[in-house]
Amino acid sequence: MLKVKHFIEQSWLLIVASFIFGLLVAVTYASWKPRIDQNEKDKLNNLMRFMITDANSFEIAVRDAEINTGKGKILKTNIYKALYTDGRTLGYAFVAVGSGFADKIKLVIATDIHCEKVFGFKVLASNETPGFGSKITEDFYTNQFKGAPATELIVSKTGDPEIIDDKIITISGATVSSEAVVKIFNTFIAQIKQKLEEQGLI
Amino acid sequence: MAQKPTISRTFIMGLWEENPVFRLLLGMCPTLAVTAAVKPALTMGLCVIFVMICSNIVVSLMRNLLKPHLRILMFTLTIATFVTIADLFLKAFVPVMSETLGPYVPLIIVNCIIICRAEACASKNGLVISVVDAIGMGVGFTATICVLAAIREILSTGNIFDIPVMFKSFVPWAAMAMPVGAFITLGLMLGLVNIITKEKEKNKNSHSCSVEGSE
Repeated sequence: MLKVKHFIEQSWLLIVASFIFGLLVAVTYASWKPRIDQNEKDKLNNLMRFMITDANSFEIAVRDAEINTGKGKILKTNIYKALYTDGRTLGYAFVAVGSGFADKIKLVIATDIHCEKVFGFKVLASNETPGFGSKITEDFYTNQFKGAPATELIVSKTGDPEIIDDKIITISGATVSSEAVVKIFNTFIAQIKQKLEEQGLI
Repeated sequence: MAQKPTISRTFIMGLWEENPVFRLLLGMCPTLAVTAAVKPALTMGLCVIFVMICSNIVVSLMRNLLKPHLRILMFTLTIATFVTIADLFLKAFVPVMSETLGPYVPLIIVNCIIICRAEACASKNGLVISVVDAIGMGVGFTATICVLAAIREILSTGNIFDIPVMFKSFVPWAAMAMPVGAFITLGLMLGLVNIITKEKEKNKNSHSCSVEGSE
């Protein structure tokens, strides 16, 4: 009994403060959560709209599609359907994640309606080295994906980046980041295609 | 007997004499990590000011109730609460900046400046002095990282706040946006501040000597 009394005497302030601070954080989180969720949704929609410019809206075609990212690791991602004003499907988009040079790279990839051609990709989140790895967002690199076949892409250090084919020319000084993006493509595209086929969408 | 701190003196201390970055060498992680551009540096500075003011208020108010062996735990709990609120605020209202700063906002929890001011000032002084100390230290920290960021941003991109400020033929120094640029700029700034401080002390000494001599 004395021990309990001593414990309460010593720690009552910590216990009370923990409850008050916990409540404060919970209330703040609850009041700002809708706004945070909306921001994330808007960002994703903007990036998808940037790649499929004619799209009027996006809706989830396959929810929580399971993607095997290697070494038995399963990642869940939504596959979005880009819709024209008359309801026609224009293409598909999805979020793909993989390891980069410094941290995880999160991409939004868009393909055509048959998942045979890539419309392009946008970087949703990346902490690649500024001035080097961060160049994966630049036109020199991203333009190589616009119209590229949605099959296994090959990384090459030499070649003409203007030619659109399955060969992706790496960024000078950022080989690891360039290869990482291609690896993310190769991991996701085939499995996304398979998921769409399973659902009878292509 | 230790002199009682005055409001103006407490504020000025944080700006120069006890500047957290240049004189106390505290908060080096954000100083090096978020100073590649002015906007993120300014955001980080404002977050630190908010967290420091709130934590100093709370610590000052409960200073008489604090048990010595639990005080660091209480400081960390208080700081973590306000950092979480600052992080949520950025995510909700300034999402672009929240993404740019990435993990460095949650890392304010372990920023030595805040815990140092809670321990050295707020746990020993009243509410007013604690708040003024937080503002002084916060403004000192923000101004310092903004100066570092401005130098790095101009040299690495030729722009400041996305406005070109360098001559047309200027070739950006990509290295200034990288960690090496942060270390070099901070080192040079520290050297410069040391030279200025020494010169000031020299002038002060020679002035007091000449006053004594004239007497």
